[in-house]
This record gives sequence, structure tokens and C-alpha cells, in this order.
Amino acid sequence: MNKLLVSPSPHVHSPLSTQRLMLDVVIALLPATVVSVLFYGWRELMLVAVSIVACVGLEWLITRFLLKRKSTIADLSAVVTGLLLALNVPPTCPWWVIVIGAIFAVGVAKMTFGGLGQNTFNPAIAARVFLLVSFPAYMTDWTIPAGFIHTDAVSGATLLGKYAEGGIEAIQGTDYLHTLLFNIGGSAGEISAIALLAGFVYLLCRRVIKPWITLSIWGTVAVAGLLFWLINPGQYPDPVFCLLTGGVLLGSIFMATDYVTSPMSDWGGVVFGVGIGLLTVLIRYFGAYPEGVSFAILIMNAFVPLINKAFHQKKYGRA
Amino acid sequence: MDITIIWTIVVITLLGVTLAAVLFLVARKFRVEEDPRIDEIEKLMPGANCGGCGFAGCRAFADSCVKAGNLDNNFCPVGGNETMKQVAAVLGCAAVEQAPKVAVIRCNGSCANRPKVNEYDGLATCRVKAALYSGDTGCAYGCLGCGDCVAACENDALKMNPETGLPELDEEKCGACGKCVKACPKGVIELRNKGPRGMRVYTSCVNKDKGPAVKKACAAACIGCGICAKTCTHGAIVLENNVAYIDYTKCKLCRECEALCPTGAIHGVNFPKPLDKDAIKARIKARNEKAKEVQE
Amino acid sequence: MMKTFKIGGVHPNDNKISRNCAIEVLPLPQTVFISMAQHLGAPAKPIVAVGDQVKAGQVIAEPGGFISAYVHSSVSGTVKSVAPRKDLSGNLMTHVEIAVEGDEWAEGIDLSDTLVTEIPTDKAETLKKIQMCGVVGLGGATFPAHVKLNPAPGCKAECLILNGAECEPFLTSDNRIMIEKSKEIVIGAAIMKMVLGGCPAVIGIEENKPEAISAMSKAVAELGYEGISVMKLKKKYPQGGEKQLINAVMKREVKSGGLPISVGAVVQNVATSLAVYEAVQKNKPLVTNTMTITGDCLPVEKQHNYLFRIGMPLSYIAEYAGGIPEGAAKIVSGGPMMGKAISNLDACTVKGSSSLLYLSEAFTKRKEASACIRCGKCADACPMGLEPFLLNKLAKNAMMDELEARSIQDCISCGCCQFTCPANIPLLDTINIAKGQVMGIMRARAAAAKAAAEAAKAAPQK
Repeated sequence: MNKLLVSPSPHVHSPLSTQRLMLDVVIALLPATVVSVLFYGWRELMLVAVSIVACVGLEWLITRFLLKRKSTIADLSAVVTGLLLALNVPPTCPWWVIVIGAIFAVGVAKMTFGGLGQNTFNPAIAARVFLLVSFPAYMTDWTIPAGFIHTDAVSGATLLGKYAEGGIEAIQGTDYLHTLLFNIGGSAGEISAIALLAGFVYLLCRRVIKPWITLSIWGTVAVAGLLFWLINPGQYPDPVFCLLTGGVLLGSIFMATDYVTSPMSDWGGVVFGVGIGLLTVLIRYFGAYPEGVSFAILIMNAFVPLINKAFHQKKYGRA
Repeated sequence: MDITIIWTIVVITLLGVTLAAVLFLVARKFRVEEDPRIDEIEKLMPGANCGGCGFAGCRAFADSCVKAGNLDNNFCPVGGNETMKQVAAVLGCAAVEQAPKVAVIRCNGSCANRPKVNEYDGLATCRVKAALYSGDTGCAYGCLGCGDCVAACENDALKMNPETGLPELDEEKCGACGKCVKACPKGVIELRNKGPRGMRVYTSCVNKDKGPAVKKACAAACIGCGICAKTCTHGAIVLENNVAYIDYTKCKLCRECEALCPTGAIHGVNFPKPLDKDAIKARIKARNEKAKEVQE
Repeated sequence: MMKTFKIGGVHPNDNKISRNCAIEVLPLPQTVFISMAQHLGAPAKPIVAVGDQVKAGQVIAEPGGFISAYVHSSVSGTVKSVAPRKDLSGNLMTHVEIAVEGDEWAEGIDLSDTLVTEIPTDKAETLKKIQMCGVVGLGGATFPAHVKLNPAPGCKAECLILNGAECEPFLTSDNRIMIEKSKEIVIGAAIMKMVLGGCPAVIGIEENKPEAISAMSKAVAELGYEGISVMKLKKKYPQGGEKQLINAVMKREVKSGGLPISVGAVVQNVATSLAVYEAVQKNKPLVTNTMTITGDCLPVEKQHNYLFRIGMPLSYIAEYAGGIPEGAAKIVSGGPMMGKAISNLDACTVKGSSSLLYLSEAFTKRKEASACIRCGKCADACPMGLEPFLLNKLAKNAMMDELEARSIQDCISCGCCQFTCPANIPLLDTINIAKGQVMGIMRARAAAAKAAAEAAKAAPQK
């Protein structure tokens, strides 16, 4: 007989692992990815592949040669970052811009802070904002390339872009059912609200995330949108428009809920979500950019340590 | 455009002057008088802030020295007698000399001497392991091998030897601050006099079990036979709880105990010559015979 | 709506493989070694000497302090030695070694199966009987029962909770006694109820033991004592934790550092209730208990529930049950969540022994820890609402004040955090050590404050 193992309790472990959680996020992102490939064609698939390979490869290189420690790519967090990055840029984005984004995401936003679990900012969001500021032309080129469903390339602007340019008249008559199913234009992952919501439901069912952050973002965006709309319906769009357009869904479901860069407690998550929602609406209506979700998430990321200090889970017997 | 530049310069300059004045006044008003000797002594300190003296850091130690006005209760083990002489000069009092010390690891239960009887699967720190059970060898007293002492050492003087599974000490680097002593949950490490030219003799075992049980657990353990205590002519060895303890203040480094120890649990280190067991045994024999003659 | 506790908790696979194995009586070994540390608190002081003849049920050791208990011989025979011996973690403890000769019980002990349903009315005498029979809590902590059943003046018991949750995976001994000894347990509850001044009694059982629930309900109905009821609880670990069970049954929370009686609750395990019945009605001291032989690498036909006597060597029991199975990498005494890994099979059973659990390497070997991803799942799982990830970090930096402010002393060591952690971080290993340190600091501070108060009181008198 071999030597007996001895350790402190517990002697069992749940099947949960970092790898499994990350895999769940990837699975939850699949519907959105499939829809974007259907709409934008092989090139979109190529972008996703380039992004993932760049992120994973870079993490491997950094752990192996720079930090000289065991590689951490098996936890799949780099795959999630790569996939999110690809879904967060326009489908027309040149591949090398994505590679630069990947270098920023993994190299700067993640590994310089100490790798998974140590980063203050969500790598994919940080990279998206970095690209948006560095390559505004590529990042706001909303030409819709030919895909499997649309066979001709058309130039189009996002609904939010149209609104920023032409005011409320430019978006009049928007068909919401249409935006719910395939809101063409915008970042690659933002096409279908349904696909993103399917991912959200999957994450909730697998108990990967809790709904509070996402719901509080939606709630805040809706309420703030409603207020503005009630004040002046001639100038501001209605709350449904606010919710369904731009990166609200993608950001609130997949980026704001990133474990590392969101608060730990439920109430902290609500505060975090409300902050993101408010900032998003403010940036949209009063900022220089038509869309503000990524900025809002990035700004609120910085507040997470403070929120964690202020909000804690309810303790037993300490009422 | 020009006006803007001029205004900028004027405002910045004014701001600078005002702030400088405020700072100057505040610094004068709230100045804290401190004995300059504290700074002086702090500079003489090794600066490791190891806490070996019993104070939070070197400055706290310097503060205590100045406040006491003497060095009766203050000693920096890392700086040693040299440093303390300099401190004494600053304070104008007598230095209290202490024999330099060194950390001694009193366990020889290497993987070869002390086979493992189970496999520890918990967090690899001695503290957790010690709280859980008697350890993964048959010996419940010796080194647990998870390196809490190594982690505690700020002078980088301790290293785990993967072959023996025991920590090893770099005497040059050891400042005898006693952190490892505190870190070891089994009390294996002791601060002992360094000895002349580093020569010292000690029992490399702390197992309190009785002979047969000890022998079963470890091949190099002290079995408490007491031969060393009987032989020692300096009264330096006491047998307590089945372990021979060598009092370093009494030991004369004759190495007789080391030669006689049946399990090799007594170690002599830094001696210029290797141990000549036969010569020592002959010497003891001659002495015993002489004693017998005298008695008769 | 089935009830359960509010904060945290986890759902490990319950693996109650041995649930249908009826209790068998273990034959006597040649020698037993009875430990003096059978209970929480001070070890008992042996009162027998080498060569003494003892009978089963005879007192062999007296309490060593207020929180301590009597220890009785579990066999009849000759005392061979009173000496230190290694317990199951290899630490030394005084044991009384008795060579077994026959099976003769001390006088006045009723070994028959006849039910004695009449509840005594003298509180003090009943308590005395419980104490003299060495009854301790058999839910895990082995706290002397007579202390818990005798609340300090000013505290009133409002509810006696019988703990039949058995929330630890694998263990089935409580399940079996609830099925096979339901009436005895209910009578035990009625006795404790009387001692506590007639408060209602609730028997809390998790939903995964339907046979036990029906057997207990039937016993309660048939015996017809007033104010005893069975409550079905939702399956969730650690439901059997005292504070969690109080929360589940009474919807109350015990304040940090407080005792259950402060919210009017007294919690006793069903096995303790059985021991109380035997002590009070049958005059039989606590020298037997039930344990489960189980594990993921033990075929179902080799699993057992045994009635053992205290002092039986674990190796003897393992041998009788068919030996250590192939592929057993770890043997645990107790459940897989809070049990103790056994490093020394020569150790002997004590009053609180509940199992021999054989776990395979794949099932139990720890996986390499990776970086904390700050998912907060440990905080969600913690039934005390603590933040294990934070405590782990603070403990590593030895920040004692902050650890206390973050309530590390409330930790019940249930293991939910470590069980859940997707990064396999050994949270509880670190937290347990730091908890010990913080509680030491708190005790020292309380002692210093008490001394100061006494000094202040003494000063004006001069």
C-alpha cells in the first residue's frame, strides 16, 4: 500500500475550477460569435482566431520567457480576453490592430499587474479603449462587410453614431424587433441582443455570475434614459433604444461581470452597476464619443477596491 | 498671448512664494525636538529592521538606547559587539559585550535518516502541518521540512536542501536575530554561542521519546542513552526528557561526547581537524583507568 | 417550503452509500485502549491502576475540570497499563489499556431492549445521571452534555433542537439510529426537554433521509409526548452546524461570540439523545456509539454501520470490516468536509468517533493552487458571511487587528470556502491557524481586562 495522504479538512473539492469557469464564459459567448461570423463572413472568424492566438501566445511568451514561471494559459482566461477583444472591435478592423490590442490587453493590462486575478482593469475593455483612442479611424469604421446573410458590403453607421450626428430625427422609426435580433453595425459582438441574452441566461444557470451587476446596469441605463426622455422627448431617445443599442448588453453581461475587476459583494455589485449605467448615459449624451460603455466600465473598475472596502456580505450574527 | 504668459509666470511665482512661506512657518512652529543621538545611533545600526533586539526596528532600538542612557538591556545581535561599541561611544557609556550567536538547527532527520510514513497533502507550511498532526515521519519532534524558518529569515541565510529535506544555514549571513527560532513550531532551532572560530558542539536532535521508539523513527536521533552526560568532565551535558542538552556556556569543545555518541546525534562543527574517534576513546579509557587507580 | 439556513452553504454530493446498511455489533477485541481525551475540555484523570479488575460501564476516569467528563470502561478485564499512546494524529495522550476478559457489565445497568417510556421528573437527579454516565455531545464537538443542558441562571431554553441533519457526505450512522432507535431518541428528547423546563423540541432532519424522517415522525406520534415535532430540512451543508441549525429551525442568529442559549436554543445530536436515554432510563454509561465504514473506493457490500465500543483500535475495526480497500489514499475519521485525516491507524475509537472513511486519490488529493481570481465564491459559500479570500490574504500578512475586524473568530471551519474555491487555494489551512492566533489575542486581552477590573475593584478597599 502507498503512504496514506494526510491533510487538514476539507477532504473533498467541488468540481469547480478556474478553467471550467472560463470555459463557461467562452461557451456563453459562442452564440454572439456565431451570429457575428454569419453576418460578417470568414474575415470575422479570422479576426477572432487572430485575437485569441495573439492573447494566448503572448501570455505564454511572457510567463515562459519574461517571468520564467509555469505557464498559466491552461486557465483559459487569455482565450476569454481574446474572444472578447475580437467581439469588441468593428468587423472591418485590420488584423494588426487587433494584435496591437492583444498586446495591450495581455501585456499591459493583465501581465504587468501580475496576471490573472491581479489586474485592476478588464484587459479586453482596456485594450478596446486603447485602440479607440489610438486608432479612431479603424475603430469607428462601421462599414458592414459582406457576410453569409448580407452579401454586399454596405457602409453604415451605428444607431448611436447616427443619433450623435443627426439627433433624434436620424433614429426615428427604428424597428426594435430588428435591433433585438440583428442590430447590424457597431462592434462585431453587438449584432444580436438575443444571442447575448442567451449567453447571460447560460452564465446564470451555470452560476458562473450573479445577475446583480448586469441588472443594475440595465436598470440605471433604462431609468436615466427614461428621465431624459420624459424631460425632452424631442431631443433624447426612449429608454428601450438606450438599452438595445451600442455595447450595453455585451458590456454589462460579459465585461462588467469580470470577476477580477468587479466588486465581491452583491450590494457592491449594484453600486458598481449603477455607476456604469450613469456614466454610460452621461458619456452618450454629453461626451465626445457616441458610446460610453467601455469608458464607464474602465472608470468604475478603478473604484472597485473602494467599493470592496465599503460593501461586505452580510455576516451571521452581526446584525 | 504675451499677457497670458506673463500672468502665468506671475501667478506661479506668487503661489510658490506663498507656499514656501507657509511651509517655513509651519516647520518652525511644529518642530519636534529630538535627541540627535537617536539619528546618530540609527546610522550605526545594520538597518535590517529585523527585530532581533526585541524592538520594532532599528530606530525604535536607537530610541530605547538613548532613553535608557545605558546598554544594559539593549543589544543588537546582528551588529554584534563591534556595533555596540560604537553605540556605547555615542552614548558615552560602557558597552555590554555578548558572545556572538548563531542559529543552530537541531535536527538531523534527513530523508535518509528518517523515512516518511505518510504523505502530507496540506498547505506546505510547518505551522499548518504542526497544528494538524505529528508529522509525516515517525518522529513527532523534529523538523517538519516545510521551510517556515527559511521564509522567516530576512538575511537569506537559510535554504532548504531538497536532498535532506532539512534547512541549511549560511553562518556568514546569519545575524542571530531569532526570527527562525520563533517561526519554527517545533522549537528545533536554537540560538547558541558561535564559539571560538565558529567551533561548537551540539545535540542535533530534540526527540523526547524513549530510546526504542526514537530508533524506529530516525537513524540519527538522540536515544537518551546518557553516555555523553556521564563522560563529560565539564558538567556541560544534562539529560532531560530523553535528550542530551549541551550547555554552550560550559562546553570546552573537547569533542569526547561527539566521539562516543552511538547514533552520531552530537555534532561538532567548524573544527579544523576531523574527529579522531579512536584517539579520543583511548584518552577517555586512560583517564578512567587512572581514576580507578586513584580510587583504589 | 422546506427550511434551511439563510447565509451561504454548499451542496457536495451526499454519497450516502451505506444508508441501507443496518447497524451490526462489533465483536470485542483482545485489548482496548481508552483515551482520557474523549471530550472537549480538560482530559479526564484516570482512577484505576495497573492490575485492577474492571467491569464494562465502570468509571475509570474522573473529570479533569469543569468542562470535562467521566470516562467508563467499555469492556470487562484487567488494566494492563495507564500510559501515553498516540492518538489518530500521532500526538500523545494518556490511555488506559484493558485486556478483555469476558463481557461482564457493572451492576445496575439494564442491557435489555425494553423501552422505558416514563419520563423522570427530578431535574437535578437526571442531570447528575447524565453527567455520571459521561454523556457528551456526539455531533462532533463532544461537548459535555450536562453542561449544555444546564443553562446559566438567567438563560431560559425556548427550544430544544435535535440535530438529525447529518449534513456531512458519506456518514450514515445518525440516519441508521434514527431508523432503528427512533423511539429511544424521542424518549431521550423528552428527558432533555424536561431537564430544560419543558420547552418544545424540534427534530431537524435533512430531506435526503426520508426513511429516518418517517421513522422519527412515527415514533413521535406513537409515544405521544407533548411538544416534540419532526422538521424536514432542505439539504445543504453545513446544516448540522449548531448556528446554522438554529437559523434553519428558529430563524434566529446567535450573536458573534455568544452561546446558542442566548437566543433560547439548546442543540443536541440525535446520537446524544440516544445516549441520554440509555444513561437516564437504562443506567448505561456512554461506552458505545455508532460509526460508518464507508468511502468512495469501498464496494457497497463492504460498507457497514457498526455499533462499536470506545477504545477499540481502528486497525482492528478496519480488519474486521474486510481490510483497507485497494486504492484508498486517505483514511478520514469523520466526514469528508470536517473530519480528521488519520495518520495512525493504531489509534482507538473515542466517544465521538463517527466513521472510517476511505477516499481514493482521485477523490481527495488536492490539486495545485493557482491565482485567486476574486470570484467571491468563497464569500458566497461561507455560512458565517465571512470573506475567506480576504482573511487568507490578511493571515498571510499577519494583520491580526484587521483579521479580528473581519470576524475571523466567527469561522466555524466548515470548509465550504476551500471546497468551493475554483483556484484550489487552501483557504481553510491558513484561516484556521490565523483564527487560533486571533482568538489567543482576544483571550489574552479579555484576561488582562478582567485582571485590571479586579485590581481597580480591590484598590479603593485599601
